[in-house]
Amino acid sequence: MNPNVLALLLRPTKEQTGVVVLPVVAFGVVTALVLTVVGGAQSFWGWTDEFAPLYQALAAIALVLLVVPLTTLGGAAARLSARRRDERLSTLRLLGVTPMGVGIATVIESVIVAAAGAIAGVLAYLLISPLIGLIPFRGAALGLDAVLLRPLGIAAVVGGILVVAAGSSALGLRRVIISPLGVRLRATAAPVHWIRAVIGIAVIAVAFAVVKVFPAVAGLAVTIAVLAATFALALAVLNLVGPWVLKITASRHLRRAQTPERLLAARMVLDSPKAAWRQVNGIAMASFMAVFAGTGVSLINAIGGEAAAASDVALAVDIRTGLIITLVASFLMVAASVGVNQASAVLDQSELHQSLHRLGVPVSTVDRARQRAIMSPLLITALGSALCAAVLVFPLLGIAVIVAPESLLTIGGVLALGIGLVWASTRATAPLLGRSFRAV
Amino acid sequence: MNNSVLDAHALTKTYGETHALAGVDLSIARGESVAIMGASGSGKSTLLHVLAGIIVPDTGAVTYHPATGAPIELSALGESARSRLRRERFGFVFQQGLLIPELTAVENVALASMINGVKRADAVTHAAAWLAALGLAGMEDRRIGELSGGQAQRVAIARAQATGADLVFADEPTGALDSHTSQEVMDALLWSTTGQGRTLLVVTHDADVAARCSRIIAVRDGMVVSAGVSA
Repeated sequence: MNPNVLALLLRPTKEQTGVVVLPVVAFGVVTALVLTVVGGAQSFWGWTDEFAPLYQALAAIALVLLVVPLTTLGGAAARLSARRRDERLSTLRLLGVTPMGVGIATVIESVIVAAAGAIAGVLAYLLISPLIGLIPFRGAALGLDAVLLRPLGIAAVVGGILVVAAGSSALGLRRVIISPLGVRLRATAAPVHWIRAVIGIAVIAVAFAVVKVFPAVAGLAVTIAVLAATFALALAVLNLVGPWVLKITASRHLRRAQTPERLLAARMVLDSPKAAWRQVNGIAMASFMAVFAGTGVSLINAIGGEAAAASDVALAVDIRTGLIITLVASFLMVAASVGVNQASAVLDQSELHQSLHRLGVPVSTVDRARQRAIMSPLLITALGSALCAAVLVFPLLGIAVIVAPESLLTIGGVLALGIGLVWASTRATAPLLGRSFRAV
Repeated sequence: MNNSVLDAHALTKTYGETHALAGVDLSIARGESVAIMGASGSGKSTLLHVLAGIIVPDTGAVTYHPATGAPIELSALGESARSRLRRERFGFVFQQGLLIPELTAVENVALASMINGVKRADAVTHAAAWLAALGLAGMEDRRIGELSGGQAQRVAIARAQATGADLVFADEPTGALDSHTSQEVMDALLWSTTGQGRTLLVVTHDADVAARCSRIIAVRDGMVVSAGVSA
C-alpha cells in the first residue's frame, strides 16, 4: 500500500482520542502484567536445587494461563481499531484499496496502538518492580535484582506482545467485513451442540479417577505432574463445555425474562455463546485453578502439620502466592478485555442506540442489559469452573475447608475482588454508551 | 374544539453558522398524513426531530394535543419527560428499520410495550397481532437478519404502532427500498396510521411517497415554503 495512504489512514483525529486511549491502556496493563510475571518467573530460573524445576514448571503454567486473556484482549483491541476507522476504511475500499490492503493497515495500526501501550506498560513495570521484589518466595523477598528483566528480556516480551497483537488483530478482523458501504460485524454465530457436554462429563469423570488414584501410589513430584496434566485436560474441557453451558443458561433466562433488560441480555448471550465465552474464558481458567491448586496448597499446609518437611510447607505457601498473583493478573486482563469489548460494541451499535433514544428507550435499560450480558456469563463461568475443580478434588476440598479454611478464604476473596473489577470495567464504558445514545 | 395534534410556532434551530430552522410555523391535523419534502440540508430532518421532541428548538414552541388530556408543550419538557412522551405517545419508523438485531421480529415489536410496563405475554400477543395485520404472520420468531428490507420495515411499522401511538414519525421510511417494496411499505404505513385514525408525518425525498400523503409541506433553507392543502 502507498505509504502516504497508510499515513492518512493511521492519523488519529481529535474526536477519536477517547477511543484510542482505551486499547492503549489495555495493552499497557497487559505489558506491565506479563513483564511482572515473566520477571518473577525469571528469578526461579536462577535456582538450581531439587525444587527448582517444580517452581519453573509452575511459573511456566502461570504464563501459559495468561496467554488466553492476552489474545482475547488483542482481538478486542483490533476490532475496536477497525470500528474506529469505519468511514475512512470504507472510503478507501470505495477508492479501490483491496480488502487485504485495508486489513494490513488495520493490523499495523493495532501494532502501533499496542506499541504505545507497551511503552506505558514498561514504565509501569519499572515503577511496580520494587514492590514485586518484596514478594516472598521460599521465606525471603525476591529482591529487585531478581525480578527486574534485562533490557533484552524486556524487548523480547514487548516484541512477543506486538506479535500477539498483530496475530489477534488479523484473527479479529475475520469477524469484521470492511466493504465500500461500511464496516460491520459478520453474523456467523456457529451453533453450539450438546455433544460438548457429553464429552466434558466423560473427560471430567476420567480426570476424577486419575486424581483419586495417583496421590495414593506416587510421590509429591509425580502427583503434581499428573495433576498438572489433568488440569490442562480439564481446561480444554472447560473451553469445550463453556459455550454450551452459557447457551443453555441464557435460553432459560430468555424463557423467564419479564423485563426488557433481561430479555435483551439473554438474547445478547444467545446471539453468540462462543463470543460470550471468549470474553470470560480467562476467568474460567483462573477460577478453576484457584480451587484446584488452592485445595492442594491448603492440604500440604494442614495435613503435613509438624511432620511435614519445611521445604514442603514453603512450597505450599509459594504456590499460594503464585496462584494469587496469576489470579490478579488474569482478572486485570479480563477486566481490560471486557472494557475494550464493550467500547467496541457501543461503537458497533451507535446508529441503533440513536434510534432507541429517538424511540424514548431509556439508556439505563440498554446499560443494564449489556451489564447483565457480561456479568451473568462471568458469574456462571467463575462459579461453574470452581465447581468443576471442586468435583475433581471433592473429598480433599472438604478436608481443606475444615482444616485450613484461611487459604481458601483468601483465594475466594481474590475471586470476589476480581469479579468486582470486571463489573467496574463495564461501568467505565457507561459514559460512552450515554454519549452514543444522545448523539442525534 | 382544536383538531390539531401538533402545533409548531416560530421554530428556530442553529448549528454553528447554519440556520437549520429559520422561523417555522406549522399545524398538523389529527388523522392526516403529511409529507415533509426538501433538498438535502433544507432542514426537514431537523424539523422532524424538533416536532418529535428529539431535540429542542433554540426558540419557538411545539405543542402536542393528546386525544384526551391537556396540551403538552414539548420544548418546555426535560430530556427524560420528552423520552417518556416519545415512548408512550409517539411512534417512529426510520430509513433502515434500526431494529435490535439480537431480538426476533416479535420481540422487537413487544419490547416497546414492555418498556412501558406491559407484561411480556401480553406485549408479545399484541405484537404478534400487529405483525399478522401487516402480513408477517409466521415470521414472528425470525431474527432481523433473516428478513428482507421490506419485511424489516414492516416490523418497524408494527413497533411504531404496538404502543398505541397516535402520532407516527417516519424518516425516509422507503429510502432503502426498491419502488415495488416502497409501495408495499407505504400501504402498510398508511393503513396502520391514518387507516386507524392516527396521524402520520413523513420526511421523504420521494415524490411518489409524498403524493400518497394528504398534504405536502415543502421546506427550503429552514423555512416552510409551501404548507399544502389537506386533501
